Amino acid sequence: MATILKAEDLEKVYRVGKVDVPALRGITLTVQEGEFLAVMGPSGCGKSTMLHLMGGLLTPTKGRVIIDGEDLTAASDARRTDIRRRKIGFVFQRFNLFPTLTAEGNLRLAERIHGNGADDPDRRREILSMLKLEDKMHHKPLELSGGEQQRVALARAVVNRPAIVLADEPTGNLDTESSALVLKMFRELNDRFNQTIIMITHNPEAAAACQRIIQMRDGHIV
Amino acid sequence: MDSLVISNIRQRPLRSAISVFGVALGVTLVMLFTGLSRGMSDDLQRRSANVRAEIVFTRPGSLATSTTANLSMKYVDLLKQIDGVEAAVPVIRHFYPSGPWGVDQVEGVDWDSFTRMSNIRLVQGRGPKAFDEVVIDEAKASRNHPVGSSLKLFGDKDLRVVGIYAPESGARAKLSLEAMQDFLEAPGKCSYVLVKVTNPAEQVAIARRINEKYPGNTVQLTGDFFPSIEKSIPGLAIFMRVLVALAAIVSALVVMLAMHTTITERTREIGILKAMGASRRYIISEIEREALAISFLGLLVGFALAALAGFFIHKATGLIFEFGPWWVLTAAVIGLVGGALGALYPAARAANLDPVTALAYE
Repeated sequence: MATILKAEDLEKVYRVGKVDVPALRGITLTVQEGEFLAVMGPSGCGKSTMLHLMGGLLTPTKGRVIIDGEDLTAASDARRTDIRRRKIGFVFQRFNLFPTLTAEGNLRLAERIHGNGADDPDRRREILSMLKLEDKMHHKPLELSGGEQQRVALARAVVNRPAIVLADEPTGNLDTESSALVLKMFRELNDRFNQTIIMITHNPEAAAACQRIIQMRDGHIV
Repeated sequence: MDSLVISNIRQRPLRSAISVFGVALGVTLVMLFTGLSRGMSDDLQRRSANVRAEIVFTRPGSLATSTTANLSMKYVDLLKQIDGVEAAVPVIRHFYPSGPWGVDQVEGVDWDSFTRMSNIRLVQGRGPKAFDEVVIDEAKASRNHPVGSSLKLFGDKDLRVVGIYAPESGARAKLSLEAMQDFLEAPGKCSYVLVKVTNPAEQVAIARRINEKYPGNTVQLTGDFFPSIEKSIPGLAIFMRVLVALAAIVSALVVMLAMHTTITERTREIGILKAMGASRRYIISEIEREALAISFLGLLVGFALAALAGFFIHKATGLIFEFGPWWVLTAAVIGLVGGALGALYPAARAANLDPVTALAYE
C-alpha cells in the first residue's frame, strides 16, 4: 500500500493575546492508501487542529504535511487551496451544506469548484445510489433529516474522488440510528472505493468501525 | 435551483429588492437628468428650425434663454435695406416662472410678417390682435386650451386663446409684438430681428455684410443662436456630469453595503467554499456575479422607472424627456460597473477570510 498522508513532527502554537498556546506538540503520523483511521481523545487535545493542518486549512508552526506526494506546508496559500480542491474532501460535524441549494446543487457546486464546470453524472449517480440519496436530490438541507444531511455532505466530499476524506466528528450531531447509518456509509465508501478516511470521533462504537485508532492527549499521539 | 448566485438572490428577497432598487435609483436619476436635458434641448432646436430665418440680429449679451428687449426697432427697416436681405422680422422672447416646476416662454411677434417668413400656419381661429389675445401651438392646445379658452401667462395675466397654429416654432404661445412691448414697458424695442435672405447659400456673406454695416451688434446664424441648452446655460454640462457621477456612486454604495451585509451573513458559507478548495478568484467571481445579477435587475427596473417617471412628469408639467441611446448605454454601464466595483471590496474581503475562523462563525 502506498503512503497517502505523512505528518512529520507537526507542531502548532496559537497566539492568544500575548500568550502562546501549544495545540500540537510534535505529531508524526503515516496513513496508507485505503486506510480508515479514527482519531480519538478528549476535547482540546488537538484533534481538530491536526485535521485542519492535514487539510491545509491551517499552516503548522513546525513540521511538514505531505499529501499524495505533495508538500502542503511548503506550498503557497493558492497552492494549498489547489491541493485541497484536488485531493481532500471534508465532512464536518455540522454538515455545512449550503442551505439555499438542493442536495444535488451542493454536489454540483463541489463538482464546479473541482473541475471548472466539469460534470460527471455517472460518478454522481453512483455515489448517490450508494448513499441511498436518489430520492432526496431535489430537497434543500432544511427539508432533510440530520442523517440525510450528513450523507449529502459525505457525497459532496467524495464526489470528486479525493485522495483522502477528513471527517471531523461526523456523527457528533446525529442520533444513534442515523450515526450507525452514516458510519455504515463511511465503511462502504472505504470498502468499495478504497477511500482513505481520517475520522475524528468521541464515539467508541464509531471508532470500532475503523481499521486503526490513534489516541491523542495534550497535543501528542499516545 | 443549482446556481449559488440565483439561489442566494431568491433566498433573501428583501435584501435583494433593496439592492435592486438602489441600482435602479441611480439609473433612473441618470436617465431623467440626461433625458430632460436632451428633451428640452432638442425641443428648443426643433422649434427653432421652423423659424426658417438664416440670420439673427441682436444686441451683445442677449441669450436665447433669458428675457431681453433691448434692440431698437429701427434696425428692422435698416436690415431690410441691405443687399441680399429678403425680410426682417422683430421678435420679443420673454421667459417667466411657470407653475411649481420651472420656466415657460412666450413670444411677441408681428403675426403677418412672422408667418410669411416661417412655415407656420393657423389650423384654427386667427392671429393675435388685441393686447389680451394669444395664439398657441397644437402641443399647448392639446393640454385643454381650445380656441376661446382663457390662458394664464406671465404668472397671473389672463389671455384669450384666439388661434392655434402648426407646426411648433419658437415659444408655444405668441402675442402681438405691441402687446409684448406694452407688457415689458419696452416701446420701440425687441429681443432680436430674424433675417431671411434671398439666397440661403450667401447667408455667411450677408451676415458679414450686416456686421460690417452695423458693428457693435451681434450677428449670428440661426443654428448658432439657438444652441443646445447644455451650451446656453453656463456650467450645465458640468452639473450633468456631477449628477451622473453621483448616481454612479449611489449605485456602487448600495451594492457595496448589500454585498458587505451578505458576506457577513455568509461568512460560514465562505469558509465551506474554502474548505472545498474554492480559490480566491472563484469566491470573488461568485460574489461579483451576484452583484452583476442584482445590478442587471436594477438596470431593468431603473429603465422602467425612468420611462414611467418621464411619462408622468411630462403629463403633469409638459417637460419633455428624450432617452437617447448614448445615455441609455451610459446608464447601463454606470449601473453594471457601479455594482461590480461596489462588490469588489466585500468580495476581496471574503476571499481573504481565514477558512478555520470562517467555519467557526456563528
